[in-house]
Amino acid sequence: MKKFNISQFLILIFLITFVIFPLGRMLLMVKWANFGTLIASSSFKEALINSLLVTSIATIIAILIAYILAFTLNRTNIKHRAVLKLLLTIPMLIPSISHGLGLINLFGTNGLISKGLGFNIIGMPGIIIGSILYSFPIAFLMFDDGFKYIDNNLYDTAHVLGLNKWQTFKTVTFTYLKKPFLSAVFATFTMIFTDYGVPLAVGGKFITLPVFLYKEVIGLLDFSKGTMIGLFLLIPALISFLFDTFFKDYAHNNLKSKDYVIKENKLRDNVLKILTYTLITFVFILLGSFIYYAFINSPVLDHSFSLKHFDYILANNVGKYLFNSLLIALLVSILGTIIAYFCAYETARVKGKFSRLLHILAIVSLAIPGIVLGLSFTTSFKSTFLHNTFTILIIVNIIHFFASPYLMAYNALQKINPNFEMVAKTCNISLFKIIKDVIIPNTKITIREMFSYFFVNSMITISAVTFLYNTKTMPLALLINNYEGNLMLGEAAIISLIILIINIILKLGIYLINRYESRKDAYEYNI
Amino acid sequence: MVSLEVKHLSKTYKKKLVLNDLNFTVNKGEFLSILGPSGCGKTTLLKILIGIEKSDQGQIIKDNTDITNFDAANRGMGIVFQNYALFPNMNVLENVMYALKIKMKNKDKAKEESLKILKMVKMDQELKKYPHELSGGQQQRVAIARTLVLNPDIILFDEPMSALDADNRLTLRKELKALQTKFNTTMIYITHDQEEAFSLSDRVIVMNEGVIEQIDTPNKIFNNPKNAYVKNFVTRHLIEKVESIEKCTGIDL
Repeated sequence: MKKFNISQFLILIFLITFVIFPLGRMLLMVKWANFGTLIASSSFKEALINSLLVTSIATIIAILIAYILAFTLNRTNIKHRAVLKLLLTIPMLIPSISHGLGLINLFGTNGLISKGLGFNIIGMPGIIIGSILYSFPIAFLMFDDGFKYIDNNLYDTAHVLGLNKWQTFKTVTFTYLKKPFLSAVFATFTMIFTDYGVPLAVGGKFITLPVFLYKEVIGLLDFSKGTMIGLFLLIPALISFLFDTFFKDYAHNNLKSKDYVIKENKLRDNVLKILTYTLITFVFILLGSFIYYAFINSPVLDHSFSLKHFDYILANNVGKYLFNSLLIALLVSILGTIIAYFCAYETARVKGKFSRLLHILAIVSLAIPGIVLGLSFTTSFKSTFLHNTFTILIIVNIIHFFASPYLMAYNALQKINPNFEMVAKTCNISLFKIIKDVIIPNTKITIREMFSYFFVNSMITISAVTFLYNTKTMPLALLINNYEGNLMLGEAAIISLIILIINIILKLGIYLINRYESRKDAYEYNI
Repeated sequence: MVSLEVKHLSKTYKKKLVLNDLNFTVNKGEFLSILGPSGCGKTTLLKILIGIEKSDQGQIIKDNTDITNFDAANRGMGIVFQNYALFPNMNVLENVMYALKIKMKNKDKAKEESLKILKMVKMDQELKKYPHELSGGQQQRVAIARTLVLNPDIILFDEPMSALDADNRLTLRKELKALQTKFNTTMIYITHDQEEAFSLSDRVIVMNEGVIEQIDTPNKIFNNPKNAYVKNFVTRHLIEKVESIEKCTGIDL
């Protein structure tokens, strides 16, 4: 058998060129002699402490909320679970900076709610709340998935053994949720620690590490210092990555677990129902503030109806930026899905040392925060033909969001009968044909999920692209940053809404296609 | 008449000798089982026979032609895999005609041939059904039809029933035997199940750690096991079964 094939080789070259090379080059650029000065500087220390403080608080609260929500949807008799799950993941469809923006609309100096009450949440409280809003859906989805794998037989056993509620939680629930729990903690911490959208919008003078990096690079063009700060942002991401790669998850060994029988408890159900609906209402008020701000004359002086913000963004060529974003998101989704899918094919269905190496390279991007990836790209490709092109924006997004869709494909392809290729071989059917006619049709739901993941994230991201765009290639989400910086909250709200609507349309479209097909033929659900 | 002859076949994998100088023949129309515990080398043997893996030494001769270095597609052999490996996104007819359509480059003719075979395996009433809508027995018939339609001289089976429950296995065994009699195709059946091998086969090869311990008819293996291993692996299992029947029924067998 061959050691590797051409497809593996091409994907390997791609990943080395755009993951290993830029990261390595960036690390080589660090002037270690200046490292001491940076660490000793009061502005750095302040940013680091600020970051650790807000991230720790926000992570704890986000994880708690996420767990309660997952518990509510899996362990209580709440109705409309599917709809609630969908609503709870809506915050994932807007950029992190929009969460900050929404909070300013509601609780800023002239906020709709805070103004009359004489307070505002700019600074630390704003960053904490914004970060929670932006990160809890991811942790919620992780717990939600974790709950589905707990075998109810274990609860029966615990009951027979006479364990009390706390002991049962400790020995059964926590044992099974340990991996998703810790993964969610690490992932949430990393997300918040490396995000600069929320603190940029609502942080005020409270500077966090990513904002510090952003200001050094964008404002002062100090790439070397930026890189050194980037190293600190890499640390939690790296720990999170190593944990996910090497921590054994035995909960998923149980393929078929008996469904949990929910006990009657009206009080519990009602309390959790109120909490869930309150949170969803808050998310909708936040999104509603975008609509309100989009149609009022001025948030400070005049709340009368006006279309002037629409006139302004139309006059300022918003169509061009929208086109840029759609072009980037579409190409990232198409190319990203193709590359991630074939990479997963090579690692999930072709055995050997080479495929294991490819697997590790494919998930390494999980460990690189967007802002650091963007920085490494700009330092590595500044003097190449890729500089200032759509191509580099597309590539950086593919790399930034590669790991999750890759893992989706990897899991789906592993589940498919391993003998299809051998059937093809003995029937003289080419590998290409069997992939086209059998493997792809049997994973099309996963392929659509991958496409959707790349698309939505490319629409909302500002971190990886922030150092790489120019006036011609600028994506839409970055306009929010510009408008918000100039206190044009109405315009920023409209852009957030456009992004939200596009993402909802895409998600809805994919949902409808899947539903239509599941009625037509249900085979993918029966592999 | 000999259909297939295996001469001095050996294979080393990760410095371990997994097949050690195997020699045997398979007659035309014969049902031959290769029986052994997991790890005895039977799956490697099957992969070498079908052409998915290469042997280090030895020859495979089919109808007087040395096919040792032939591609899997040119060996005139078909294979039925564990769990049947039917394509989930294709219905019964599409599963059977898929490879033929590519081979013949003529959809109508491929369809005609496929329908003919499906009628012979009594699946012509279920053409539009998808694999997940079929019973285990129906899936087996489609898998065999998919292989038969390409007109192979020999069909190999890679533990096709190992994932099924005992009841189902019994029905499928009967069906398989009936199909073999009907088509008179040479069949080589890989299994670790003594009962399966004994009830289906004309002859059985008992394998252990890469070597052939005995080749004989089920009757002879049972009555004259060649060595302690064969006796232990094959007959003890069957005797235990008989004892349990005696215990349940009170009848002295």
